[in-house]
Amino acid sequence: MSLAEQDDALIRAALEGSARSWDQLVRRHETQVYNFSLRLTGNPADALDLMQEVFLGVYRNLHRFRGESQFSTWLFRIAHNKAIDMARRRPSSTSLESALEDAGDLIEARWQQLDDVPEQDPQALLDERQRNALLLAQMAALPLEQRLVVELKVFQSLTFEEIAELQDISANTAKTRFYTALRRLKALMEQDHGM
Amino acid sequence: MACERTATLVADHFDDTLVPLQREALDQHARHCADCAQALDEARQTHAHLRTWQPQRVPAWSRPALPSAPQKRSRLRWAWWQWAPLAVSCVLALAVVLNVQISTGSQGMAIRFGASSTPDTAQLEARLAAFDAQYQAALQTLTQTLMQQQATDNARLMEAVIDSVVEQFGDSTARSLEQVIAYFESQREQDLQLLQASYQQLADSDYATIRSVEQLAMLVQGGQP
Ligand SMILES: [Zn+2]
Repeated sequence: MSLAEQDDALIRAALEGSARSWDQLVRRHETQVYNFSLRLTGNPADALDLMQEVFLGVYRNLHRFRGESQFSTWLFRIAHNKAIDMARRRPSSTSLESALEDAGDLIEARWQQLDDVPEQDPQALLDERQRNALLLAQMAALPLEQRLVVELKVFQSLTFEEIAELQDISANTAKTRFYTALRRLKALMEQDHGM
Repeated sequence: MACERTATLVADHFDDTLVPLQREALDQHARHCADCAQALDEARQTHAHLRTWQPQRVPAWSRPALPSAPQKRSRLRWAWWQWAPLAVSCVLALAVVLNVQISTGSQGMAIRFGASSTPDTAQLEARLAAFDAQYQAALQTLTQTLMQQQATDNARLMEAVIDSVVEQFGDSTARSLEQVIAYFESQREQDLQLLQASYQQLADSDYATIRSVEQLAMLVQGGQP
């Protein structure tokens, strides 16, 4: 059974009332949704809120899922809309500085969490911490619509046509947004470590 | 950027759906356009930088649980309420069409099909009046049951909401809890009104159908509609 077929089976069982299948379905996708949420919100507290809303949205609309697309595609359509809803409700308070700070806290927490794992290479972990914190801060400096295009293109591998449909814009506008975002990120990267 | 194609060209470079011919045309342009060549080079670096993201482990969080009464089951539970008036109507319609005669006498209950030996309009009028009364009574009972059911559901759902909120945020969030409950109540109120309205509508449309079936039956029997 393919991953998509497994998803379909879990969805059917969840709709029949199987709490265990629903739980499994959430666990299968939560890492992807959490990382998506983290890159979009810039901090773990908001990321958890967004993830919560995404899965509640999935639950409420599960009976409408017709299997025409893959569940993960459908899931990220909901995630995309929830991310926009959330940004509208909470006008951007995340400055570059606070995003960096939050990211630092996150990485610190993770660092402590991983202290007990001896087989990890500390140097590799340190790089990972710095890289992710920096990326979060740089992503946070983008306007939401650009951040979403970058997220959907670079991390979710959507086509520009799919992104255009989600954002209700033309494919060309999606491409321009993507290019503008990359240029902005490039400038921030140079600022951060003289690339 | 001086070249007007740069934005599209860079974006297309990261488009996996590009066919080989398109990709070749893209590369061809970049080989001869310094603007695009530089932009493409920088974009590749930025893209590679973004891809260094290391997936974060999900912190402990309370996964939204599937409520004990799942959507599908609760919809099924409503189903028989919705169809009950139709079922009642169908039985009555069948009785009218087949001209079923139920009489209770000293020999017990007797059921007879077909036209009675002396069909008259007064008898049909009487039966229609009885049908009206039965229908109204059945509808009233169903509506009451529906409302009681709704009240029970309200209470049960409210408990579930309170439990989950308290579990998540502790008792200290009494204020936000009140807001949640107020919102919840207004939503349920709207739901209830909507449900009752559509229920009434459904029942009415069944009733209208059934009356026309009766009139047809009377015409067939040679009575007056
Ligand atoms: Zn060019």
